[in-house]
Amino acid sequence: MNDSISNPVRRVDAYDKAAGYAQYLADMKFEGLLYGRLIRTPVSRGVLTGVELPEMPEGYRYISAADIPPGGENRIQMIKSDWPVFVSDTVRYLGQTVGILTGPDRQRLHELASKITVHCRTQEAAYTIEEGLACRGGAIHGDDNLFADFHLKKGDPEAAFSQADRIVEDTLETGFQEHVYMEPQGITAEWKEGKLVFHASCQCPFYIRKAVAPSVHMPYENIIVNQTTTGGAFGGKEHFPDVIASALAVAVYVLRRPVQVIFDRREDMLYTVKRHPSQVLFRTALDAKGRITAMDIDARLNAGAFESCSPIVLQRTIFSANSVYDIPNVNIRGRAVATNTVPSDAFRGFGAPQGIFAAEMHMSHLARELGTEESEFKRKYFLAKGGKTVTNGTVREEVLLEQMWSRAAELSGYYEKLKAYPPGSYRGIAPAFYLHGGGFTGSGEQEIINGKVRITGSKDGSAEILLSNVEMGQGTATTFSKIAARVLDIPLDRVKIANPSTARVPDSGPTVASRSIMVVGKLVERAASQLRERWGGTSDESVLVQYEHPPWIRWDQETLQGDAYPCFSWGVCIVEVSVDPGTWEVETLGVWTGHEIGRAIDEAIVHGQVIGGVNQALGYGGLEKLELSGGGFAQHTLADYSIPTSLDFPKVTSFLVENPYEYGPFGAKGAGELVFDGAAAAYAAAVQRAVDRKVERIPATPEYIMEITEA
Amino acid sequence: MNQIHCRINGSPVAISSPGTRRLLDVLRDDLGLTSVKEGCGEGECGACSVLLDGKLVNSCILPVLAVSGGDILTLEGLRETERGRCIIDAFAETGAVQCGFCTPGMVMAAAALLFEHSDPTEQEIRIGLSGNLCRCTGYDMIVSGVALAAERGRGLW
Amino acid sequence: MVDAYYPGSLAEALELRTERGAIPFAGGTDLMVKYRRPAGVLPELPGPVVLLGHLDELARITEEGGILHIGAAVPLSVIESDRRLPYLLRSSASQMASPALRNVATLGGNIGNASPAGDGICALAALDARLRIAGSQGSRSISLEEFITGPGTTLLREDELITEITLRPSDCTRVFYRKVGTRKANALSKLSVCADAAVQDGVITDIRIALGAVAPKVLRMKDIEESLRGSTPEELSERIPDVLAAYEKHIRPIDDQRSTARYRKTAALRLAEEFLRNLSEEENRE
Repeated sequence: MNDSISNPVRRVDAYDKAAGYAQYLADMKFEGLLYGRLIRTPVSRGVLTGVELPEMPEGYRYISAADIPPGGENRIQMIKSDWPVFVSDTVRYLGQTVGILTGPDRQRLHELASKITVHCRTQEAAYTIEEGLACRGGAIHGDDNLFADFHLKKGDPEAAFSQADRIVEDTLETGFQEHVYMEPQGITAEWKEGKLVFHASCQCPFYIRKAVAPSVHMPYENIIVNQTTTGGAFGGKEHFPDVIASALAVAVYVLRRPVQVIFDRREDMLYTVKRHPSQVLFRTALDAKGRITAMDIDARLNAGAFESCSPIVLQRTIFSANSVYDIPNVNIRGRAVATNTVPSDAFRGFGAPQGIFAAEMHMSHLARELGTEESEFKRKYFLAKGGKTVTNGTVREEVLLEQMWSRAAELSGYYEKLKAYPPGSYRGIAPAFYLHGGGFTGSGEQEIINGKVRITGSKDGSAEILLSNVEMGQGTATTFSKIAARVLDIPLDRVKIANPSTARVPDSGPTVASRSIMVVGKLVERAASQLRERWGGTSDESVLVQYEHPPWIRWDQETLQGDAYPCFSWGVCIVEVSVDPGTWEVETLGVWTGHEIGRAIDEAIVHGQVIGGVNQALGYGGLEKLELSGGGFAQHTLADYSIPTSLDFPKVTSFLVENPYEYGPFGAKGAGELVFDGAAAAYAAAVQRAVDRKVERIPATPEYIMEITEA
Repeated sequence: MNQIHCRINGSPVAISSPGTRRLLDVLRDDLGLTSVKEGCGEGECGACSVLLDGKLVNSCILPVLAVSGGDILTLEGLRETERGRCIIDAFAETGAVQCGFCTPGMVMAAAALLFEHSDPTEQEIRIGLSGNLCRCTGYDMIVSGVALAAERGRGLW
Repeated sequence: MVDAYYPGSLAEALELRTERGAIPFAGGTDLMVKYRRPAGVLPELPGPVVLLGHLDELARITEEGGILHIGAAVPLSVIESDRRLPYLLRSSASQMASPALRNVATLGGNIGNASPAGDGICALAALDARLRIAGSQGSRSISLEEFITGPGTTLLREDELITEITLRPSDCTRVFYRKVGTRKANALSKLSVCADAAVQDGVITDIRIALGAVAPKVLRMKDIEESLRGSTPEELSERIPDVLAAYEKHIRPIDDQRSTARYRKTAALRLAEEFLRNLSEEENRE
């Protein structure tokens, strides 16, 4: 066995979790704890006219906008601050926070909460992208309901369209998706020696600190956020914890007692953020030989009631709208549309899955139209080193998709199965290709985050990594430790890493954007190597390093032109299905995936990411129907919202191809989101081949498959 | 109020509680057995799985009165046994653990399965885990963990 | 205030039912979900409950003179593995909910709950199940079909409890069971089809078709079944379009968060057709 860093180790958190010792927020004890229940609006849009409260027994309080301390502002500081802590007049979505009811006994609290009546004057609401674009009921945001309206241009699409032999149009749609982290959202806040201290199940402790500061008018140094062991997040705990924390901040500021809010699962499913539904319209120009000469793309995301991070999600969508293909002339418009639904927000992939689903399915539709085998058609357009992206950035790495394709095709028996299952045979197999840009978009790492990491070495020979990226299941506690142990040349168990506290760790940035290993891991590597130079394991030493931008990156944030990402990770996924001709139920017979993520810091952890990501994506593609119903969601229990069980999908075959990246630790690039990006499209394309009908949206439920086959 | 007598992790326990109170709340709030998690509160996710007289049950929808005279095992009890250690080790080794929130329930489901089938097939393992939702792993590595525990623990089950 | 009773015997349970109006509570897997509240809050049940799951009288499966008696509180996990029971019933039990729920949930509860999507009810309807009901004035027997009057409504009186399900032996061996759920396991039914038939000397001597979750209660059309008895497979083959047309008239599904009315209807008819086709094409199998 070689000594590659990729060789799997036992995860540092595995034993405590498997033996039930790990303490999540709900397992922790707080002296004198009060419980909090958020009181919500009963309508999607309107004006708050009053709140009727029952008589409050001693120890129970209702806290709302009127309780915001002097100097405090009724706003949550995310990227923008349009989202108020408490509704004071305008209501934008069903279940928006009006107040927080606190008290010592949950039974009593529940009884009191059910006696509170929130009165609103109702206005006509807009729920869908179409209704948002039409400003149904009047604009919610600005005068056009657009949180963002971006335009990209590559080559000369107008000229290409004017010379087109024919033009093919297509509309692809994706639905809402719920994160279903197994641990629901929860935060406890307390007042300690003049400081406001949060214990939060979250991805971004420093985001919470920033978010709550304006509402209680306190300086950062008096606000501490401790991440608690986090039972899954997937993007759902990137910004949403800010919403709970802000209400808690005001409550604790007033009460000076610890208050805990833990969502019940239904509450979590109804009132927390979701993946953006999308609509992507394609117009593609073909020449007389059936070659693509240009694309015109119009992408729309349902952003929900407040801006949150929707413009940045939208950037990912449009930057991914050509997937792995080099199309010479492209016009792209992207719009993030305000509606009266719960705000849409970060979810693994962050807009890329929508763009890639659309691009892959459109390419698949073109292949159908042209009578060309799908993989052959797609492979003709693969990006290559030196190729140009839709932002006119440059692909700087060797693109190994051909090699990955050959291997995946061989493992799956793709070509044999293609022959064996002609279109319409109710068996189908299909590929999807995808990529994911590593790290923050554009100059975000340099200009917004500028992450710092500290490593301290102690005289007992142990080292501690101090950074703000959290372990939420994805394995960073282990991978960061491996990087440091390897560079410092000490055993893994001599490296310590704890759940971060903003009072203790430097801000290495949020746990998002597949940046943790590639960007922050690089900082760990650099800090460790600097520490190694002056620490022999017998003294106390400390090293702080700061992010350095790769020098070649050219990016203009105003025009969205240049290298949107320093590098890409790449993937291929093949899915084989059979469709029941009587019920249109889909049985997934096989899933084969290959990924190029530079180098894996730990192969077992990466495979865990692959299999988990692929299952989540197959759920997105086939099972996870989440429909609006009166401004809320029709499927708001785990009985009705179907995430995959152990029996829904077969064992996933997964392989990795190495292609080390200079600016990642040991050559590593991002992996966590990439592995989600492609499987839904492969699934949909396999179903499409099985029933020989165009699949234009996901989830491709049996109901939908029936509609297209029986149409 | 009802008086309920049962055994929890091998010790006799007397509980004074409204009979319809969820076993989950009694285990977590009164007895501090926090390996038992609440993921959904309606019997769908299995994070609250415990064994009642050797059978897997969801403690979130079991009224405490229903366990009168019963024998309850949580992970706090199981981890003290050789069987428990065998499953925990196998999970840690196969990468079956990610965020960990479903894991105690998964370990209990694995135990229930192995008590019944000492040498399960992959399909039997998948059926045995089918009421325990995991959003991180996609299950394959948990299935491997259970298979490894079955193999390593030969004679234990 | 007592919110739950733990009777020592069926007689005591009946007394609690009669005198305190206690709600029958077998496994409680439906009641505890329906009336659930958040962590640390008691379920808001509409009245006191009487626990039944532990009563030996309700937990036995016995066979007398070919008639099977299944205690109303026998858990589904026992039903799925008891080889004396019809395959149709075992199949349906094995696909209900999850292993942990099957250890607790009961057929009696499934029947009492009377959900149109109750999987056990559909299988039992195809098996012509009867129920034994105990009351303060003695016991009575009633067919399952008569007992369930609509979604969530039954003929159970306020002093009664379902004590057992009885099944007569049948010659049917052509079992067809299909549950179409929201996913492959731990799923609720969008619809289900439970069917069974007997073929002797090239003639269909018995046939039952029950369609679940496509109407306010399980749909069984005995007149159609009766008309098919005595047919040869070839004759059946010719009748299939008419039979399906007759079913189509009575299928009245709903749109809900799990599926659409159109899908339920179309898939149910397709599956019924699949069962009938299989039967009509098997003449040489005897």
